[in-house]
Amino acid sequence: MSTTSQKHRDFVAEPMGDKPVTALSGIGEVLGKKLEEQGFDRAFVVLGQYLLLRKDGELFTEWLKDTSGANTRNATSCSQCLREWCDAFL
Amino acid sequence: MATLRSKSDQEIRELLDEYGIKHGPIVDTTRPLYEKKLKEAMAKDKKVTKPSSDKTFYREEQEEVTYVTYRTPVMYMETAFLCSDHIPEYSHVRLTPPPVFRPHVYNTPSYSSYSKPTPVVKSGGVVVKEEKTESSGRLVPLWIQFLVFLIVAGFLYFIFINMESVESSPFNRIQ
Repeated sequence: MSTTSQKHRDFVAEPMGDKPVTALSGIGEVLGKKLEEQGFDRAFVVLGQYLLLRKDGELFTEWLKDTSGANTRNATSCSQCLREWCDAFL
Repeated sequence: MATLRSKSDQEIRELLDEYGIKHGPIVDTTRPLYEKKLKEAMAKDKKVTKPSSDKTFYREEQEEVTYVTYRTPVMYMETAFLCSDHIPEYSHVRLTPPPVFRPHVYNTPSYSSYSKPTPVVKSGGVVVKEEKTESSGRLVPLWIQFLVFLIVAGFLYFIFINMESVESSPFNRIQ
């Protein structure tokens, strides 16, 4: 079982509401800033993108890498975080 | 080749379906990603479903072809290189060494792609699909197979050269 970070567990534990994009697992300051520049200033907007990509982890990871310059690890972490959040709340 | 940028959303959607790429709606934020995926798919797979002039070569092979069981892979290679005319099944096919040594007997349905003699016997649909993604059906990448082949060939050649030099050894003791 892969270990999840505290950030991941915190995010997945409750509805995201208006949390900033940096609340997502794998998204730190730098990536958060890049995403905000593109208009993804809240976690739910990124969720929107994830849903638009039909919740496909691979597509979303690729998109995130292209858009924010994230590396594979962070992108996968974010993707997993969103997937689990969706499993719980969507 | 028209640039993907200038195509309409609908056309992009159709292209994605043609390449079998799973996708969601084409929106501002998703479009660049899909264009990129299409470009990769196109580069990897130059043929689209429409038959191009490349395929006219293979049209000859529309009849059923039965491949003979290979006795040994090496023997097959030798015969393939040396006496291509003697193998009737191959006389009308361009000879390339089979990348995978598979001693099977198999029938190829009408769209046989000779360069890929893997046993895709079961359904014509599988063969067509395999033809489209010509190189992605292998377990071991093609270039590795060629490399191994070259290494083995080089090794055998090296042994051969060494054997030859035994007769006329430059290291004869002076009597």
